[in-house]
Amino acid sequence: MGFLNKLGMAIGAHAPRESTRSLPHGRNGNHGHIGAVAAGPHREPEMQETTRISNGLKEFLWNLEGLGRGTLLDLGPAWQTTLSFFIERGFRVTAEDLLRSWAEFQAKEAARGKEGLTAEDYAQRTPEALAKKFLSENLEYAPSSFDALLLWDLLDYLEPTLAKHMVAHLTEILRPGGVVLAVFHSKKPEGFQRYRVMDTHTVQVLGTKAIVPAQKLYQNREIQELFGRFRTMKSYVGRDQLRETLFIK
Amino acid sequence: MWRKEDGNLQASPEVSAGTATTPGKAGTGSITSPPASTKVPACVSQGIKIKGEVTGTEDLFVDGQVDGKITLTNSTVTVGPNATVKAEIAAREIVVRGRAEGRFTATERIQIWHSARVQGDLKCERISIEDGAELRGKVEAGKVPSTVTAGDGSAHGKKAEASKMKEAAMNDTKTASGTATAGAD
Repeated sequence: MGFLNKLGMAIGAHAPRESTRSLPHGRNGNHGHIGAVAAGPHREPEMQETTRISNGLKEFLWNLEGLGRGTLLDLGPAWQTTLSFFIERGFRVTAEDLLRSWAEFQAKEAARGKEGLTAEDYAQRTPEALAKKFLSENLEYAPSSFDALLLWDLLDYLEPTLAKHMVAHLTEILRPGGVVLAVFHSKKPEGFQRYRVMDTHTVQVLGTKAIVPAQKLYQNREIQELFGRFRTMKSYVGRDQLRETLFIK
Repeated sequence: MWRKEDGNLQASPEVSAGTATTPGKAGTGSITSPPASTKVPACVSQGIKIKGEVTGTEDLFVDGQVDGKITLTNSTVTVGPNATVKAEIAAREIVVRGRAEGRFTATERIQIWHSARVQGDLKCERISIEDGAELRGKVEAGKVPSTVTAGDGSAHGKKAEASKMKEAAMNDTKTASGTATAGAD
C-alpha cells in the first residue's frame, strides 16, 4: 500500500472506521467536559457522525511538516478540534464558512430581486457578475497570504462559475509551494457533510442539513482543469465515494 | 492537546479568572462568585443599556446591552448570558455566554460558551468553542506567523527538501493518479 500511496493510487482506504452513531444531545455530551469536545456552530441533534481515515489529510500534513509558523485557511465552519489541531502545530488558522456566506449572499440577492430591478441590475445578475460580486465581498486576503487551504464540501455545492472564479482567487492568495486539500463527491451526495480533523489521519464526518444543494459533480479532468495552475494533483477515492484531492501550487 | 485548556476553562467558571492573580484582595460580591477569582469585575447588569465607547483597565462583565466599542486591552470582557452586545471588543480575553455581534479581538483567548450566539469576526491567539454555541463569521486564531516565507516555498523548513523530492515523484505519477482514481469509481 505504501508503494501505491507514493504513486497516488491508493484506493479504498477510506471506509468509515467506526459505525455511525447519533451525536449526544446534551451539552458537551461527547466527552463530558468543557472544551474537550469538538465544537462549533449550532448543530441539529439528529446529526450523524462517522470517522474515516483520511489519506488526503495525512499527505496534506506531510507536505506542511517543518513549515514552522504557517497560515491556514479553512473554508468551513470553525470547529474546535480542527482549530486546536492546527494551532498546536504552530499555525495561524482562519476559518470562514464560505458556503454559508454564499447561501446568505444568494438569499440577499433573491430578496433584492423581489424589490424590482432596473435593466442595469439585470445585467449584473449573470452567474459571472454574481460570482465576481460575491468574491469582492468575501475572501478578502492579500496575495500569497496562506500556506495551506482546506476546502471540504464546497466546490461541488457552489455554482460552477463561482467555483471557477473562486479557485482562481484562491490560487492567488496561496503562496507558491502552498498546499490545498479539497474534497469532491464522486456520486451525487444524499446529504450534506461537515468535516472535523480529529488527528493526523482521521476526520470526523458530520451529516447535516444542506445549506445549498449540490450543483455539480466534478470528473477528474474537470478537477484538473479547475486547478490548472497547480503543479501537482493527487487523489484518493474512498468506498464512500469521497474524493480527497491534494494540490500543490 | 486539550488538557491545558480544559483545566483553564474549568477553573474559570463564570467570569474568567485570568486577572485574579493577587490573592488577599476583596473577593466578595462577584457576579457569579467564581471561587478562583479575587477580583470583582465592573458590571453592566441586566436592564442597563450603554451606547458608546467603554475603555479601562479593569475586567468587565456585561449582562445588559452594549452598542459601540469596548476596549480593555489588558483585561477580560465577559458577555453574560443575558447580554446583547453589538460592539467592537478589544481585550486580553473575551468570554461570550450570550448574544454578541461585531468584531472581537483578544490578545490571548476567546471563549465561546455553549449558550453563546456570536456573529462577526474573531481574532485571537487561542480559542475555545463549546459544543452548541452558534458562531457565524470568520475566526482567525493562532500565533501570528513571523514574516519568514519568502514566497517561493523555500521557508518550509527541515522537510522542504524532502517535500520537493516527493513532489517531483508525485509529478511523475500525475497521470497515473488520475487513472487510478477513475478506476476506483
